[in-house]
Amino acid sequence: MTTSVRPYPTLAGSVELEVVGAALDGRPQLLDMISRQERVVALHLNERSDWREARLELRARLPQRELSTGPWQKVECVAVLTEGVTNSRTLRPLRRASDGSWAGSITVERDLHRVRADLDLFVTATIGDVPGRIVGTDENPWIVDLTARTPLRQRTLEINEVDFGDADVPWLSRFKELPWLVETSGGDVPTVHLNLGFEGLKELLGSGGSVSEKALRGSIAAQIAAEAWTAMFHSAISELELDDDGTPQWPGGWRESVLRIMLPDVHPELPPADALFEAHSSRANGGGWHELQSRIQYAASRRAKVSRSLSTAIRSLDRSKEARA
Amino acid sequence: MNRHTVDRSDLLALLPETVALKYLTRSVLSGQEAPPRIALLRAASPMGEPSARWSAYALCELVDEAMSRFPEGSRAAADAWLAPRLHATLRMTRAEASDPELWIYVAMVVAPDYVVWRHLGGAGSSGEPAMVATGRFTGPHYTQAFARLWWAAELFRDGDDYRPAVTACRNQDVLNTVMRLDLIDHRPSARAVVRLLDQGTIRTGREVNALAKAINTAGTTLLYDVLAPDELPEQEGVREWIRDAETAPPAPWKALPDGPKDGRIPEASVDTMTGCFAGLFEKAPVRGRADSPSPGVPAQGVSLHKAYAESSEPRSAR
Repeated sequence: MTTSVRPYPTLAGSVELEVVGAALDGRPQLLDMISRQERVVALHLNERSDWREARLELRARLPQRELSTGPWQKVECVAVLTEGVTNSRTLRPLRRASDGSWAGSITVERDLHRVRADLDLFVTATIGDVPGRIVGTDENPWIVDLTARTPLRQRTLEINEVDFGDADVPWLSRFKELPWLVETSGGDVPTVHLNLGFEGLKELLGSGGSVSEKALRGSIAAQIAAEAWTAMFHSAISELELDDDGTPQWPGGWRESVLRIMLPDVHPELPPADALFEAHSSRANGGGWHELQSRIQYAASRRAKVSRSLSTAIRSLDRSKEARA
Repeated sequence: MNRHTVDRSDLLALLPETVALKYLTRSVLSGQEAPPRIALLRAASPMGEPSARWSAYALCELVDEAMSRFPEGSRAAADAWLAPRLHATLRMTRAEASDPELWIYVAMVVAPDYVVWRHLGGAGSSGEPAMVATGRFTGPHYTQAFARLWWAAELFRDGDDYRPAVTACRNQDVLNTVMRLDLIDHRPSARAVVRLLDQGTIRTGREVNALAKAINTAGTTLLYDVLAPDELPEQEGVREWIRDAETAPPAPWKALPDGPKDGRIPEASVDTMTGCFAGLFEKAPVRGRADSPSPGVPAQGVSLHKAYAESSEPRSAR
C-alpha cells in the first residue's frame, strides 16, 4: 500500500484479486468474457441481453506468511463492487480456502448498474481496539463492463458519422464547414462527430487506398485524436469540484481517466494529486495558464501518437516521390 | 413562465445534454422565457416500454402541488415534501435513475417552471438579473433539481420507510455535501447521519459539513461495511414496487407514501455507525462551535433547529 501514509501497520506484500469464473442467471459463461491481463469482465452478450444477475467467482492471494506473523487481529478479506453513477455498493466476504488462497463470489445486479463497475479487494483487520482498519488492497481494481462484448480496459471514443448539414442535427449545421467536431458534454464517453458532408473525408478515412493515402489517413486520425485529447483535458479540468480548503477533487468517470493519463505528461515532476492541484490553480488564477497550453498540447500529441504518424506520412510521401522520380 | 398543458397520456422521454445546453439561454435561466418545447420534443427519444410510471402528467400534478404548498421564502422546505413523493411516483431502478437524459427531460420539458421557482437566486450585486445555475437542469445527481430529490429519497430511505429521507431533505447541507460522499452508499452510514440529526447531535450547516469531512477522512482507513454489515437490498421488492406502479393510486399529499419493500437496514449496524460518527464528530473541528448555538445557518429558508423526530409526518395506513 503505497498510496497514503497510515498511522498503523499495513501489509507490505502484494494483495491480488482474480475473477476466475462468471455465470449469468445461473448459466456458466465462456471464459473469454474475462481478461486477466486487462483485468476486465465483459458482460454484454448479444444472445442474452435480458440477464438479471451475474455471479462472479473470485479468488485472492494475500501475503499469508506476513499476515500470520504480523500484529493484525481478526483479518477479513472483502470484495467491493461499486459504480458511481448508480451509487451502488455491494460487498461480499471471501473465505480462506484449503490451498491458502481466499475464495468467494459476488453478484452483479443488473438493476443496480449502468455502464461500468469497479471491483476492489480490501483486507481489513483489528488494530489495537479499532476494528475494520484497511491494511491492504489490490491497487489495480477490476472493471466489470456491462456494455462491452470484449474485455478491454481502454475505452474508445464514440465516433458518430453524420452529415453536419442534416436537418435532424440542427445544432451541428453551424459547424458544417468543419471536417470533424469533438463533443465532451453529456454522454458516458466523449464523441467525435465526423462530417460526412465534408467532401472526400469518408473516402479518405475509409479502408484501402495507396500507401501515401494510408499514411495521410493515419496522420489525420492522429490529429483528430490529439484534438479529442485536448478537448477532453479542458473539459475535465474545467469542471473540478473543490473541497472545503480548495483542494480539487478527482472528477470520476472518463474525466478522471483523462486527467490521470495526461497529467504525468503535463507535470512530469509532480505526483498526480499535486499535478491536479497545479493544473487547476493555474487555470483558476491565470498564472502559468499559457505555459500550460504547450504542455497540454504535448501530452495530447503523445497520447495520439501524432509525431509517429506524421513521420510515417512524411516518409511514405518521400518514398512515393522517389518512386515516381 | 407558464407551463404548456401536459396531456394525461404524455410520457417522459430522454433528452441529450448537448441539446439542453444549447437552449439554456440567459432568458431561460433567468426565468423570463420557457425552454422551446417543440424543438426539445423533436430532439427527445422515447424511454422504451410505455408504462404508467413514466406519466408526465402525474409528475406535473405533484410539482404544481409543491409550488402551491410552499410560499415564497420557504421554498427550500418543498424538498422534504417533494422528495419521497417524487420517488414514489417515478418508480424505477437505480440503473434507470442514473440516466441523466431522463432528468434533463423532466427539467427542460415537463417542469422547467419548478426549476426556476425553486432555484432562482437573488440578483447579483452588479445589477445582473438572477439566474438559475445550469447544473440545476443538467448537473450530476446531487445538483440537478429533480435527480437530487429522487436520489436523496433513494439513498436515505430505510426500506419502505421514507421518514429518514424527509429528515435528510430538511437540511440543505445534507443534500449539498453529505450526498456527494461515496460512503453514503453504505446504508447504515446514511441512516446514522440522519439519526444524529434526529437526536440533535448535529444541527447547523457547519456541523453537518464538519461531520461530513470527519467521516469521509476516517473512511479512507476504515471500511465501514466491516464495522457495520448491511444486508443486500432485495431487488425483487423493488421490482414488485415498480410493477405496482401500473395500478397504484397517486402518492398521497398529506401522509407519506410507502417506498419499495426491499428490506430494512440492520438496526445493530445503524447503532454502531451512529456511535462511530458521534465519536468522530466530537473530535471534529466545527467553525464557530465555541459560540454555538450560532445563527450561522445558510439562508435557505430552512430552520435547522427543529425537533426533527417530533415533526415527522404521519405514515399512510397499510
